[in-house]
Amino acid sequence: MSLLEVDNVSKRFGGLAALKNVSFTVEAGEITGILGPNGAGKTTLFNLLSGFLPADTGRIAFDGQSIRGLKPHRIVNRGLARTFQLTRPFFGMTVVENVIVGCLAPRVRDVHVSTERRAREILDQVGLGHAADALVDVLPYGDLRRLEIARALATRPKLLLLDEPFAGLGTSEIEPLATLIRRLHDEEGLTILIIEHKLREFMQLVSRVIAMDFGEIIMTGTPAETVRHPRVIEAYIGKAEADVAAA
Amino acid sequence: MPKISKIDLAAASIVFAVLAAIPLFGVTTYTIGVLTVCVCFAIWAASWDFMSGLTGRENFGHSLFIGIGGYTAGFLNVEFGFDPWWSLPAAALTAGVSAILIGFPTLRLRGPYFALAMLSASTVMQYLVIIFSQVTGGQDGLNGIFPILDSQRDYYWLTLFFLLVTLMVLKALALSPWGTILRAIRGDEATCQAAGINVTFYKIAALVISAVFAGLGGALYAHYQLQVGPDLFAVILSINIIIMVYVGGMGSIYGAVGGALLLNILTESLRAFSEYRLWIYTLLLMLILFFLPNGLIAPAWTRIRDRLARPREKKRQAIA
Repeated sequence: MSLLEVDNVSKRFGGLAALKNVSFTVEAGEITGILGPNGAGKTTLFNLLSGFLPADTGRIAFDGQSIRGLKPHRIVNRGLARTFQLTRPFFGMTVVENVIVGCLAPRVRDVHVSTERRAREILDQVGLGHAADALVDVLPYGDLRRLEIARALATRPKLLLLDEPFAGLGTSEIEPLATLIRRLHDEEGLTILIIEHKLREFMQLVSRVIAMDFGEIIMTGTPAETVRHPRVIEAYIGKAEADVAAA
Repeated sequence: MPKISKIDLAAASIVFAVLAAIPLFGVTTYTIGVLTVCVCFAIWAASWDFMSGLTGRENFGHSLFIGIGGYTAGFLNVEFGFDPWWSLPAAALTAGVSAILIGFPTLRLRGPYFALAMLSASTVMQYLVIIFSQVTGGQDGLNGIFPILDSQRDYYWLTLFFLLVTLMVLKALALSPWGTILRAIRGDEATCQAAGINVTFYKIAALVISAVFAGLGGALYAHYQLQVGPDLFAVILSINIIIMVYVGGMGSIYGAVGGALLLNILTESLRAFSEYRLWIYTLLLMLILFFLPNGLIAPAWTRIRDRLARPREKKRQAIA
């Protein structure tokens, strides 16, 4: 049994078919990447998986049980946590308080364990220990990305959905973050589903790629197969050429 | 949120000791009456601040719960002849239950719609009370409510005791994980859900707790006035409470109490200016809100406390 099973899931926004009969599975322990240009439906897919949007049709099963139609907080308490593409911290609170909120989820709440101590451990783990008592309002963007991951980790997920964790980061920040994600996988055995654009770090990180375009899965395979696939090249390289031309 | 320090406790004890001692110095019953009303407002402001100050969902119909508490006291006492002591638990209960009923539909609303829905709900109740005058006494309200204690002075101490209880409960909750979650809801509801928190539950629970103390305050007020009228549901009462919390400083709870005491005492002391009273009051309010957008009491106290704590910190560092 796969950890996550997505079967024939569709989603329309008025006349626009954002997702068309999407089916795939995620096995426990792997890092899977979802690749696709803007508007391919990647974030919509994440919103359906995490319960922030209702699916129109299809089946979403996590850990053998259907999670379609569940409220977002219930899905988190089943062990499926996500980060947001645009970081959404709790402004006006300190960094450690932001993580404490995740430690208060019913799934992990334990009166015998100090939530603050757990939150600080998680911050150390993601490399934010030094900023624990700072207000999130003053945190630089790269640290906010780590905070997103810390808050999700606080709920002790079995599957972590990362929505463009490298977006907006400079090259010097991408490498350490990729190392962090790989370490979470190698050391904690965390299963990770990650959305990204065509980044080298991303391709090195994932063991399997699901490529999407116009709301459909166009191929599934290893990173090496992906970059050679004609439809992926069509969706991407064409656009890259246009970018070069524009520049 | 910083925990309560010894300095905070000392300051709170001094304020309460002063408030409790005032009637011992031969003041008139009129002054005691003003203070009793002050304390009722302080309970209302603190309970408003717990829900709206922490979660950031401004409740423009707090008078709904105050009115329900007041009328519960009135009905039990005047219509059914219950002992006046019953009013207090009963008012807290009816206000709490009404918060569950109104919270379910309204707290799902986003943006300003919760504020508008609550404002409408309190106004609707105000007019329902006027329309069903056979039951409610209409504009005249319910008269002849019995006092809980015969002595005005003792009754003032009773309301002060309930203010103390209100503050201890609300502050303890605000400093607990509950408070952290409510402030997180203020930050971002979607992130809260992504952190596995049942946002709707916590918002409704906060509204219920807020309503319980507002209803209790409403009953205390009814047993001081010995009368309740439809004005208890008026929007202007809710707005006055909100202004008191803003002047005090949102989200600190004790600031709300300070704001309620300050503005009530200000209104009273401006009586000497007769018809210019509202002018001066409004002008002062505008100055405070314009120049001190974070309020007056809570930020001022934070500063004083830091100044008081600094020499000690230095001493501690010197020892270390």
